[in-house]
Amino acid sequence: MTEILRTEGLTKYFGGLCAVHDVTFSMKEGEILGLIGPNGAGKTTLINMISSALTPSRGEILFKGERSSGIGAHKANLLGIARTFQIVRIFSKLTVLENVLAGVVDRRRKGPWRLIAESIFKPRDGGKAERTALETADRLLDFVEISRYRDEKAENLPYALTKRLEMARALATDPALLLLDEPSSGLNPAELNGQIELIRKINGQGITILIIEHVMKVIMDISDRLIVLHYGEKIAEGQPQEVYSDPQVVEAYLGDETDASH
Amino acid sequence: MSANPAVRNRLGLVLVLVLLVLLPRIIQDRYHLHIIVMMGIFTILTLSWNLLAGYTGQLNLGHAAFFGIGAYTSALLAMNTGLSPWLGLPAGGLVAAFFGFLLGFPALRLSGPYLAITTIGFAEILRLVAVNWVDLTRGSLGLSGIPLLTPIEIGSWSMKFYFEKDYYYVVLAGVLLTIFCMRRLVRSEFGVSLQALRDDEPGAQSIGINISQYKLAVFTVSAFFAGFAGALFAHFSRLVSPETMALHTTFDILTMTMVGGLGTLLGPVLGAVMLTFLSEWLRYFEDLIQFDIRLVVYGLLLILTILFMREGLAGVVKWIADWIRSALKGEKGGTPS
Repeated sequence: MTEILRTEGLTKYFGGLCAVHDVTFSMKEGEILGLIGPNGAGKTTLINMISSALTPSRGEILFKGERSSGIGAHKANLLGIARTFQIVRIFSKLTVLENVLAGVVDRRRKGPWRLIAESIFKPRDGGKAERTALETADRLLDFVEISRYRDEKAENLPYALTKRLEMARALATDPALLLLDEPSSGLNPAELNGQIELIRKINGQGITILIIEHVMKVIMDISDRLIVLHYGEKIAEGQPQEVYSDPQVVEAYLGDETDASH
Repeated sequence: MSANPAVRNRLGLVLVLVLLVLLPRIIQDRYHLHIIVMMGIFTILTLSWNLLAGYTGQLNLGHAAFFGIGAYTSALLAMNTGLSPWLGLPAGGLVAAFFGFLLGFPALRLSGPYLAITTIGFAEILRLVAVNWVDLTRGSLGLSGIPLLTPIEIGSWSMKFYFEKDYYYVVLAGVLLTIFCMRRLVRSEFGVSLQALRDDEPGAQSIGINISQYKLAVFTVSAFFAGFAGALFAHFSRLVSPETMALHTTFDILTMTMVGGLGTLLGPVLGAVMLTFLSEWLRYFEDLIQFDIRLVVYGLLLILTILFMREGLAGVVKWIADWIRSALKGEKGGTPS
């Protein structure tokens, strides 16, 4: 399988604080890679750098062999990197459908100036382009199973479904790599199973997934491989079962004796 | 059955248009026509401000500056170079658009109150330039005797622009053009992207929206329409002073839009019409009680709107329309589950 993403010596400082230090890893096309670690380990910072919301202090990110570090979030998305957020960032005043429509990718590449000119001067083509976009958006709402909320304002969605809406919106941009930041946080056990199923379904479409998750059931269930971050450093990598029993990982999560004495 | 509402809407639209075209025959009094023309000019202004504040979430408190730039540009071009005021209308819009583009840059880094303060500063600087550049602008006296719109002659048909009723049709055309453009803009991919970045900037970026470019673009477009309104105003009132750019003009626009309904297309129109009418009506009282009550009423209306009807008059209209629709449905007994 071909490599889709590689990071080399990725490092991020916030002032004097080192949030991520010298992290090197790679992802193969089509895999699900789990990213775990205690709170404050730098997982979200790492994802923010890959989605180019943050520029690394040092190191490189290569997406499909092309340098993508620090190019800006919107450009990273155009290259094929989409994401969801730990605290959902939906467009609350838009309808559920419009949230997904906003992501349908053909619309993005033209830029605002051309869109303005087209919207005013271009005669209606009978709405063919709009229909195609609508079909795509409706198909995605079906896919994440929130079609019946189609015309609701997004702010009225139950919390668990806003997570699904974010996924549909990300998928609307037709990504090759999807970054999921704690897709299961705040979900009840029944919703958890649905979420696992959905992530598998997305992966089944050939989309590579990098997932941050605290819920062990989810991460052990779906990950092909795991990476463990601790204080910004990668301390383990491998098959879920072997990482799980790695003494260094156990220590990071439970604390060693010197930690406990504090 | 399904075609019925669309047909009804078309019919309603045609009826409103006919009424608007016939209005100067119904209301012939010059004073009232003057007020109606001002309603039209403020409608263009509120619609343009609404594109920024309502659809993009950018609080621009310097909008009056764009209005003033458009007014001064068209007036000065007509007075100093003899350019036809008809060309001055788009020229005023274009020069304002250029300044809008410039004001877009601070908006890339600032938001909320910081952006609001910067835009106030922008408008104040321009106002002071207009006050102090006496050679060009005649300072605080302002420009007077601005040329009227030149007569149009097509074959044997001609139209002169002497009276309020003549300007009424020009401004009506301007308002309809603005509504048409705004409607197309906010419903387009451009408009959806604006609303997306209004609701969540990182979220918008994550789906490929280049928010910097969108902000620059929307400031430019918004300023164009404000400048266009300014140019219309210059050739109608024939008097432009630096006061045009003062903060209170922006607050009039803000109040009209908020009371009418922020982030809707109907709201700014309703707000501009109602409040222009209201402030003229209040003048009778002001003469009686010798007190400038207009601003007090505006302030009160703003507070009441924010407290009790966030969606403004447009929200009330929609609520009533929904209520009537559901009542009609109930009568037919066809309530779907």
